[in-house]
Amino acid sequence: MATNMTQAVQKTKMPEIVGKLLGQLPAWPATQAFVTAFNLTVWKKLRELDWDGIHGRKFCVVIKDLQLALHFSVTQKGLRAEKPVQPDVIFTASLMDFIRLALRLEDPDTLFFNRRLLIEGNTDVGLRVKNMLDGVEFETLLDSFPGPLGRVVMYARKKLQQT
Amino acid sequence: MLKKDLKLSLGPLLYYWPRDLTLDFYTQVAGWPVDVVYLGETVCSRRHELRLDDWMQVAQKLADAGKEVVLSTQTLIESESDLKALRKIVENKNFRVEANDFGAVHLLVQAGVPFVAGPALNIYNPDTLACMATLNAIRWVPPVEMPRSMLISMPVPENMETELFSFGRLPLAFSARCFTARRYNLQKDDCQFRCIDHADGLDLNTREGEAFLVMNGIQTQSANVHTLAHRLNELTETAVTHLRLSPQSQRMADIVKLFRDALDEKISAADAKAKLETCMVSAGCDGYWLGTSGSSMGAD
Amino acid sequence: MPATLLELICPAGSLPALKAAVDHGADGVYLGLKDNTNARNFSGLNFDARSLAEGIGYAHGKHRKVLLALNTYPQPATLSRWQQAVDTAAEAGVDAIILADPGLMAYASKTHPDLRLHLSVQGSATNYEAINFYHQHFGIQRAVLPRVLSLPQVENVRRHTPVELELFGFGGLCVMVEGRCLLSSYACGDSPNTFGACSPGHAVRWQQTPQGMETRLNGVLIDRYADHEKAGYPTLCKGRFEVQGETYYALEEPTSLNTLELLPEMHRLGIAAVKIEGRQRSPAYVAQVTQVWRAAIDAVKANAENFRPQTSWLAQLDKVSEGSMHTLGAYYRPWK
Repeated sequence: MATNMTQAVQKTKMPEIVGKLLGQLPAWPATQAFVTAFNLTVWKKLRELDWDGIHGRKFCVVIKDLQLALHFSVTQKGLRAEKPVQPDVIFTASLMDFIRLALRLEDPDTLFFNRRLLIEGNTDVGLRVKNMLDGVEFETLLDSFPGPLGRVVMYARKKLQQT
Repeated sequence: MLKKDLKLSLGPLLYYWPRDLTLDFYTQVAGWPVDVVYLGETVCSRRHELRLDDWMQVAQKLADAGKEVVLSTQTLIESESDLKALRKIVENKNFRVEANDFGAVHLLVQAGVPFVAGPALNIYNPDTLACMATLNAIRWVPPVEMPRSMLISMPVPENMETELFSFGRLPLAFSARCFTARRYNLQKDDCQFRCIDHADGLDLNTREGEAFLVMNGIQTQSANVHTLAHRLNELTETAVTHLRLSPQSQRMADIVKLFRDALDEKISAADAKAKLETCMVSAGCDGYWLGTSGSSMGAD
Repeated sequence: MPATLLELICPAGSLPALKAAVDHGADGVYLGLKDNTNARNFSGLNFDARSLAEGIGYAHGKHRKVLLALNTYPQPATLSRWQQAVDTAAEAGVDAIILADPGLMAYASKTHPDLRLHLSVQGSATNYEAINFYHQHFGIQRAVLPRVLSLPQVENVRRHTPVELELFGFGGLCVMVEGRCLLSSYACGDSPNTFGACSPGHAVRWQQTPQGMETRLNGVLIDRYADHEKAGYPTLCKGRFEVQGETYYALEEPTSLNTLELLPEMHRLGIAAVKIEGRQRSPAYVAQVTQVWRAAIDAVKANAENFRPQTSWLAQLDKVSEGSMHTLGAYYRPWK
């Protein structure tokens, strides 16, 4: 079973060249790009969630295989890029695992048991965000993407579902 | 000013001691300044150094010495033979019974006898307590994790006595699995009664060497000894009528006397605390009483 | 033959999880409100009035049941909130509420005599006399048994009570009798009985250190994992401790319960329902596990004698399990 899992992971790894390219990017523009993309798409659907107690918290998403750390906080208007200082919560995983989580193809607890997802810092805030996002239906999020992009996301999800 | 007329109870022996040691222990208890003594096996049905008949004899001797005797029932009742043992206790004509499971409550209600509602019944609110009073419970023992603030806000029905777990390692959890047997890689059904080698339980430390829990067969206890000897003045606004002291293997006579002296204001709270510390099997704690983590010890 | 047999009851920590359960074949879902009236009181999880109404609408639209867990113990200052939750459940039209506290059962049976009551696993009823107590005094119609009984013991309970039985089929395994475990509050002040969670997030810290990933509860080191080791939930019962100089899983390994192979026996005993643990898990988990158990229960009902769990089912369940259940029993003796 363990072998199957490893194979599955290897199969779904990003092509090495893509990883290398992305890894070359400095963190600040990457954070900016992520934050902007996020705010233009899914934030429209997420803003109604109960963000009390989360506003003002600093998050850090570490994409292990790219050696990239995104620092941001949640404000009334969406995500805001932050300087890389003293985050409240740090999520660490590989890019593909983050993508699979975002596409609802993977259960976060399963990734945690398998040491593929780590939540450090304020666990309560970390779990709250995880649970809140789980509480949003995937179709709702999908609606927030402009037509062609939405179709790309759906296509990617289907492809990944088969691996 | 301390609360008047508080009685001392000796809780059921939670460990498995050799027969002679146990009998000798209760011979001494007859002479101690405790008002109530709880007897019987509450943890594991396999333990048999004393059978029910033996316990009944001990009970009679203690009753003859002027003690109120209560027979405690097993907390985890799974099998038909567990139920058989329970029925025998319920049907005894001489002594009151402490129910530690709702199966026991059911049988006691059917038998129409008053009973003590034990600490494992999870009585956390006035409605449940009132319900127990209707069913003829004459005394209740709050869950060991209940803080003083919650106890104070519990309206206790008239004629219902309240017994507070006030000294001893805290009974924290029960399992179907025997952790002592597991330690020795033994089947529970062939445990070789290893509990008998651990008079105050088997220590479990964290990987950093911190004393944390104690394994006592299927029961898990706190490593720290819960004690309220230094907080007796905090009982005044509560409905507490009895203090329960849970037996440990060493110096129990001294511990009982310390509590008695503290209640009689023969020694100060600080004195009681200091002296008690020399008698306990490990560090003290009182966090549950203060509404925080049970393992902690509050400031005086 | 009992009226209800092997209903599949699945966890829903959110609306998407509820829909995933219904869409993948659950006969019923169980859920809780957003506070400590239920034993999965984790931040960001559970239902408010709006999502509850929508969830009930969705499930009932597909003729599935919704069971609401109010399975913690109300306290003097907050009793009315638990009672309001009972009212909320009744008015929302849930099919049953799952209770542990006798006082609350008395309230529910008096105030809402038509509301169906289930005895929660948190009620710690491990024998038929206890179950019959709740039946006789409060009209409990189903009891969820703690995960501590052997099947012959279950059979004995079944023979001596008119109350339907629900057994845990899959998911996290409490090694302690539910409702009788204070390990969490001993370390951090909050227990399942009163706070509605064991190892609540606010007291948990995970940290990668040079020695490995450490899990702490209010500072108490639960375990430290080397890079290749699987991690478990941050519960004290699944930690590694030192006893007599040896460090091991003193209470329980990180492991999941899986009773798939016992389904024919549960069928024979007339078990009313099988419960899947995991309201804290994602919709992805709920979908995967529900699908497997739906197929398995259908197979047992079609032909119990020739039932064999398919390897693909086991692989699917293993994948989402805490720890590795197949390591059980290799070194240590059979479970108890």
